[in-house]
Amino acid sequence: MALAKQVRKANPTPEKPSLIRELVEIADYIAHMRREIAALRANELTRDRLPMAHEELGSVVAATAGATNSIMNAAEEILGLPDDGNYRAAVEERMNDIFEACTFQDITGQRISKVVEALRQLETRLSRFANAVKARDEGGLDPGEVERQVRKELLMLNGPQINGPAVAQDEIDALFA
Amino acid sequence: MALDLGMPILVVDDYQTMVRIIRNLLKQLGFEEVDDASDGTAALARLKNRKYGLVISDWNMEPMTGYELLRHVRADEALRTTPFIMVTAESKTENVIAAKKAGVNNYIVKPFNAATLKSKIEAVCGA
Repeated sequence: MALAKQVRKANPTPEKPSLIRELVEIADYIAHMRREIAALRANELTRDRLPMAHEELGSVVAATAGATNSIMNAAEEILGLPDDGNYRAAVEERMNDIFEACTFQDITGQRISKVVEALRQLETRLSRFANAVKARDEGGLDPGEVERQVRKELLMLNGPQINGPAVAQDEIDALFA
Repeated sequence: MALDLGMPILVVDDYQTMVRIIRNLLKQLGFEEVDDASDGTAALARLKNRKYGLVISDWNMEPMTGYELLRHVRADEALRTTPFIMVTAESKTENVIAAKKAGVNNYIVKPFNAATLKSKIEAVCGA
């Protein structure tokens, strides 16, 4: 590192070697930190990757909402069809609308893959940085997070379970029998 | 006792597609008088203005959840006897037990089908 070399050159036999050695170590550490921060490429993440992920997920939400709407429209139209000689042809027409709406999954799958890749990159870089600076997480939560946690626990907002319902409908029915 | 198909029903869910699904299922069952609200606060406002024969509510909504709505309804002298069915993805035992203690009449876990909804409405309103 340039600063460390300059110090060694200017003072090859220092009167206080331990102080100089500490300063050199600090300079080396700062240089190391600068390299690790550069490797994080934070500007690229905030300028390109995170906005891209945000935009792609927004498009996924819009596409799924649009497809759901199209499918619901077709289903409602089928329910309202008159029971006459054109019934089958009319149902087939709506069924084709449903098939068309279902093509959203191919596109949203590709969009989600891009987001997953961006998150993987972010995870890799943050993990490398955390290791490099020997980062430790600060204890506790920020006030906003504490408030969310308290509300979640108080109102039992557990959300859907990963592997399906925690309690089956039959068991719930038994409680209300 | 037969179901009163003319009774107004209030569907409370912040997800418009779910409101639409429940509306369609109710329509198939013969119920035509269906209103909706997007959370507990909006639902309470509707409940103060119209007498409903049944409330079908989601649990997880902002700002007022279905669980809070249930407790408000049961604490209100004018509303406390309104039949209330929870339709939710919250399927932990603690949720079901808390809702039962708070006075819910029945509890349906999402996803559900028309037959389940029908049997619960019959159990709550048809007896």
